[in-house]
Amino acid sequence: MIFRSRKPDTRLPADEIMPPEGVPLKLPVAGLGVRFGAQIADVLITFVGALAAFLLLIALRATDPKSMLAIGVLFFFLIRVPYYVVSELIWNGQTLGKRFLRIKVVAHDGGPLTTHAVVARNLMKEAEVFLPATLLLTLDGNAAIPALLGIAWILATLLVPLMNRYRMRLGDMIAGTHVIHLPEPILLKDLAAEAPTGAASAERFTFLPHQLDHYGAFELQTLERFLRVEERSVAQSEYANRRATLAAIVDKIQHKIGHADPVPPAEHREFLRAFYNAQRQHLEQRQLFGDRRKDKHFAASTEDE
Amino acid sequence: MNEGDLIRSARFRKEREADWKRLERLVVEAETSGIRRMSFAAARDLSALYRQATTALAIAREISLDKALLDYLEALTARAYLSVYAPQERVGGVVRRFFAQSGPQALRRSWLFILIAYLCLGLGALAGYLLYRESTAWYHVFMPSGLAGGRGPEATTEYLRSVLYDQNPDTSGLGAFATFLFSHNTRIAFLVFGLGVFLCFPAILLTFQNGLSLGAFFALHVDRGLGIDLAAWLSVHGVTELSAICVACAGGLLLGAAILFPGERTRRDALRHAGRDAAKLAIVAASMLLVAAFLEGFARQLVQEPATRFALGWGVGLLWLAWAVLAGRSPR
Repeated sequence: MIFRSRKPDTRLPADEIMPPEGVPLKLPVAGLGVRFGAQIADVLITFVGALAAFLLLIALRATDPKSMLAIGVLFFFLIRVPYYVVSELIWNGQTLGKRFLRIKVVAHDGGPLTTHAVVARNLMKEAEVFLPATLLLTLDGNAAIPALLGIAWILATLLVPLMNRYRMRLGDMIAGTHVIHLPEPILLKDLAAEAPTGAASAERFTFLPHQLDHYGAFELQTLERFLRVEERSVAQSEYANRRATLAAIVDKIQHKIGHADPVPPAEHREFLRAFYNAQRQHLEQRQLFGDRRKDKHFAASTEDE
Repeated sequence: MNEGDLIRSARFRKEREADWKRLERLVVEAETSGIRRMSFAAARDLSALYRQATTALAIAREISLDKALLDYLEALTARAYLSVYAPQERVGGVVRRFFAQSGPQALRRSWLFILIAYLCLGLGALAGYLLYRESTAWYHVFMPSGLAGGRGPEATTEYLRSVLYDQNPDTSGLGAFATFLFSHNTRIAFLVFGLGVFLCFPAILLTFQNGLSLGAFFALHVDRGLGIDLAAWLSVHGVTELSAICVACAGGLLLGAAILFPGERTRRDALRHAGRDAAKLAIVAASMLLVAAFLEGFARQLVQEPATRFALGWGVGLLWLAWAVLAGRSPR
């Protein structure tokens, strides 16, 4: 057989890395667009730096027109290479462009970002893009084959990130790194911890265990998201619309779980809050007993096994 | 609503929320001013709170269905992880350590590959020399046109001599320096390193070819009785420059050998492992090329006496050798 059956995939998902503490952390892999943007910002920064040094040199008349291009390229090179390495060392895997776009280099294996990794990935960047591009610029026009080879090489290295799920360049592969989006920790308040607005509402709505066996975590978290949005104040024109949505949801839930008591429109929100609390408590308890309910189809999926 | 009325996961959150907020503040402080500038207590709390937060995250994934809490903890621990495991090195320290220790150590570790590279170059030079002796027509086969600058079998001896002792070059020192760096030999050094990945073969071939043209070039000058003068002229920068090519070639061979003979590792792992030394060799080669460019751009026009040229070129070469052999040895 030519194609061996693949081993079952035991790797971590692409957006998780395993730190030494052994709790996988979610760090979403940065896409090519945002990395390209950061790269452009960095190239602009280093180019302006090189241009300033170059203009200074011209002002000092320390150059001659014959070797102008070579000196310019040299300055760009001498500023560019240390810039990437030093900035990624100082800012822990971020150049200025990466800081603007809030992305960051991390070690692939979850350890600290080593100096070797930073140096290797940035030197490979030279080999991948900048040096072939420089050679292309300095080649004379009639050398068609080297020029084509150079273009092919650059294109090939630019395609490499598309071939793997971590979007690694060649340099990333050798250094063992990849680039992630910096996560933003924002703590929203706990819906279950707030006192429901109606004083008697806790006793007002009660749900029996069999009524809470219809939904799973996905529905619960969808309801959570809706409740958070629902709390924000809205324009007058939107208000009627929102009441209608609320009523529709309450009706749907009541129908599904077989909750017969009529709920007056003024208490729709309190009903949903009470239902959220009861449902969450129930599901969390089931989860503690090893009964993880991903969504409302949990019963079907367990029967299959 | 009092504590007892809360559901379990809400209680879990309430007990730890103050710690998480403190961790969040510490992470921001570490990211903006660096762990190095934090007080002892803050740095200690950062790592302790980070470990608590990872535990909390692991528990929360099991017991809580509060999406807001899970998202927050995921992001917070990830941010804290990034600042706790940030590299703790100073740039100056990195540079010093490379030139004082890891650079020469990498050179010594890969002595065999460097030797092979020198052998390729030497054999190439010998072959080029002997072939030129046989027939001068070989010269144009080995020598890329344009590189020799009109120095071929057809050129007069006077012209060859004038190039070797050029008092008034037509470019400034810096211009020559820059032109040199992006001229033929840097390209060769870059290519032999990069092409080594393709199973060593192109790197060996290219180094050998470089030796061939060197040998033919040398034979041409010996033919005209300028052997010593050329050797002196070439010594100034050539000792450093050809060594740089050999070191770059050794780096390429290291990568190629890792793919050919990965041993117990997978090829990708072997390549990554070899990459550690190969990257160091590349940096050494690059700094040697910089020195060579400096010597060619500035020193060669200033020094005209063959004996001084020899002394300068080989003296610098000896310094490189001493650095590679002696630096960074652990005291016993």
